[in-house]
Amino acid sequence: MAANSCMQCDVAIVGSGFAGAMIANELSQKGVKVVILEAGPGIPPNINDYMKQFYNASAKVPESPFPPKLKLKDTDPKLRDPATVAAGRPTVLSLGASEWQDPEQSYLIQKGPRPFTSTYERVAGGTSHWLGTSLRLVPRDFTMQTSYGKNASNFQLPDWPSDISSEKLSSYYARAEAELGVSADVKEQSFLGIDFPTDYAYPMPRIPPSLLDQRIGEALAKLTEDETKFLEMERPVTEVKVRSLPAARNSQPYRNRRACAGNTNCIPICPIQAKYDPTITLNEATNRGAILVDHAVASEIIVEGGRVSQINYITYKNESGPRTGEGCVKARIYVIAANAIETTRLLLMSRNKGRTSKGVANSSDMVGRHLMDHPYYVAWAWLPPPAKPVFPYRGPLITSGIGDLCDGPFRAKRAAFRVDIGNEGWNFVVAGAAFGADPHVTTIDFVNGMNSSGLNKQEFNQLGKDNAALLGADLAEKLNDLISRQFRIGFLVEQDPDPNNRVTLSSEFTDALGLPRPEISYNISDYTRQGIVAAYRMRKLIFDKMGAVDFTHRLPDPASEDPGRFEEMIDGQPVTLTYTGAGHIMGTYRMGDDPKSSVVDSFQRSHDHNNLYLVGSGTFPTGGTANPTLTLSALAMRTADSIAGDLKSHG
Amino acid sequence: MSTSLHHGRNRIASGAANDQHGGEVSRRAVLAGTVATTAIAAVGASDISAYAHAADPNSSQDMMAFLLLSAALTGIHVVNLAPEFTPNNDDLLNSDPGVDPFNVKNDYFNWINASDAPAFERLLQIAKDHAKSVTDIIDGVNASDDTKFLARSIVLLWYLGSWYEPANLKNNSAPGASAFIPSEVVSAKAYTQGLVWQIAQAHPMGYSNLQFGYWSREPVDPNDKSAPLGFITATIP
Repeated sequence: MAANSCMQCDVAIVGSGFAGAMIANELSQKGVKVVILEAGPGIPPNINDYMKQFYNASAKVPESPFPPKLKLKDTDPKLRDPATVAAGRPTVLSLGASEWQDPEQSYLIQKGPRPFTSTYERVAGGTSHWLGTSLRLVPRDFTMQTSYGKNASNFQLPDWPSDISSEKLSSYYARAEAELGVSADVKEQSFLGIDFPTDYAYPMPRIPPSLLDQRIGEALAKLTEDETKFLEMERPVTEVKVRSLPAARNSQPYRNRRACAGNTNCIPICPIQAKYDPTITLNEATNRGAILVDHAVASEIIVEGGRVSQINYITYKNESGPRTGEGCVKARIYVIAANAIETTRLLLMSRNKGRTSKGVANSSDMVGRHLMDHPYYVAWAWLPPPAKPVFPYRGPLITSGIGDLCDGPFRAKRAAFRVDIGNEGWNFVVAGAAFGADPHVTTIDFVNGMNSSGLNKQEFNQLGKDNAALLGADLAEKLNDLISRQFRIGFLVEQDPDPNNRVTLSSEFTDALGLPRPEISYNISDYTRQGIVAAYRMRKLIFDKMGAVDFTHRLPDPASEDPGRFEEMIDGQPVTLTYTGAGHIMGTYRMGDDPKSSVVDSFQRSHDHNNLYLVGSGTFPTGGTANPTLTLSALAMRTADSIAGDLKSHG
Repeated sequence: MSTSLHHGRNRIASGAANDQHGGEVSRRAVLAGTVATTAIAAVGASDISAYAHAADPNSSQDMMAFLLLSAALTGIHVVNLAPEFTPNNDDLLNSDPGVDPFNVKNDYFNWINASDAPAFERLLQIAKDHAKSVTDIIDGVNASDDTKFLARSIVLLWYLGSWYEPANLKNNSAPGASAFIPSEVVSAKAYTQGLVWQIAQAHPMGYSNLQFGYWSREPVDPNDKSAPLGFITATIP
């Protein structure tokens, strides 16, 4: 397209999720002219269509409310072929044993050896299905090499750039917390050395703990050093604290949005928007003059004389394509905020007729490498009488967790973990999700005399027989008793950056716009697997202390097909462990001080092209165990300041 | 949930008359005659030989039979299935099922009727024949496979708002089977009215009418035997 017909602006942003929306809004406030390209549809006038789509979905997976539709008809056994979708994305339903390596079912071309199990959306606002958890990283998350790598062999975890530390990021964290509207208590969050300025207060009081949170806290209040020595913390542990999680979820009305009503549906979607999502900031940005171009898939970053001169994009109208046109945008500064996989894809697609044959911003050959997640180890249990029920499916999906165990000298040897306490029973964990979700699976068991859940045994059902099929009040009362005692916990495990965990472009498979789809190579290192082993031991400690019956390892046979499973020897016994994805996609264009080993500097500016910023959690050199959203938002604030400075200094 | 039509289980057990069989039979005979006459008139003379009574959601007796059947199978008070239900305690089948804002009962009636009209008609007849006895209804339903598995589908429909094909339930009914059984959400409304969430003293995920902070406190127990109001019931209505 001829350059003179391009849109013109000061700053062009690709992607309207957390980082893109926040930078757009910060700059629009300063009168900067911003254009945002969004690959997916724009912001709907309200969320009614999303809610309807969610209520009607038989599989209420994280992607279920959002376009494009997962299946042409909800009851179809197969997903849409991603080759026929204009702006596709990975989905939970494409991660099954028979789907994850099938290019006709999986948008990502997964080369293995293990599955990459996180998903994302491509709609205005980007991160739609997120929990709201807004933790700061702990200080030593930024200094892994210095703190723990000196005497360790094969230690792969670098320091963050020297300009980024817990203390130096503190004020940006505060700005991000104000933008998102975080509910938390400073005193409760002051652990492991997290830096808060004196007299700092979160925007809203904390979210109160659920009954289950309280119960786990009581169970872990008194421990022996012997019980906790496997943790290898700096000092012996005789109490493990359960703390409320800071959450971008209103505990009071905040910026014209209601307080949380406990819909137990943060993921996929809060029906009353008490949970922040980036459409809120995006709407403010567009109200201030930023232009959002939706259904516009960036296809090439044009580089001339070492600087970016233009971004080309493809337009489409229908979810299934085809392309309906093309366009381009010219700016002084360019920001790619399209998440760790799609940003990589765009950089690698941008070959400039061979002038940038390895892709844009890739002189280091680091673009696409070091793909990280927080491999998520889930465990579920049942609390027998005489303990009181814990009443799941009440309150936000997660209200509390255990963060105090995520830093210590053990990090020289094994990955750290953080514990999530789930308020949704066995919803997505029941029987390893092989038979669908709860409460449906447990209900069907007792209506039809089945035992998918594992609960229809007389030792649990107290009916004097196995495999009971009930009707009437017997059924209702049994389900009341059994379901109200179900709970689950989850462990977010740190993953060390591995240059071979990689996003590249498929040479074979495309989407409906003809663009190459992302190809993923992925594995879990021994360091990370040992973190999962520690999580396995912690799970046992928690369940034992509560008197709960573990159902995690009552998996029936089909779970053996779970592509995330692996075997470890624990205390001389082979144990089968599995992981799923946390949706925390990080690391593929890491930041660093050395242009040879990193892609961007501490301001998230490309080492190669000084008017190009790459933002989002793709810049994280290491991932810690905190959900990345708050940190990437804080970094986006810092980048917005840097861009404003650039614009000023260059007139 | 708290309306005056709720009854404690004990009160119902003693209050329900179980000794009205004489009246029951004669009423049934009269009802059957009435329905048959109406249906024949509607179907027309040429179809008389092929006639089978089609369940009609606009017939308050058919609807009441469906509600009594559903209450027996789900163990949930009729008034929770049909919030505007007005009982006629002398003759439950001639009660008024009422019209309520959600009216899922009509949606479900039509859905089941479209799925397997003959078996549904047999289920309704069982409810009509045993309108006062949960045990008799359940025994009658379980007497043959065509009514047994359709009845299970109906329970799952009320509990989950999703339709599970009776044939799929039958194929996976080996004791202790574990399997994925496909289902279809009947409607957004059906999902939000699913009873299992209330049975678990919770609410459908994504559909809460509660207020901030409720999750820190224990829910009210709907099974409290000393409370005058109930949700779960082993008796009719």
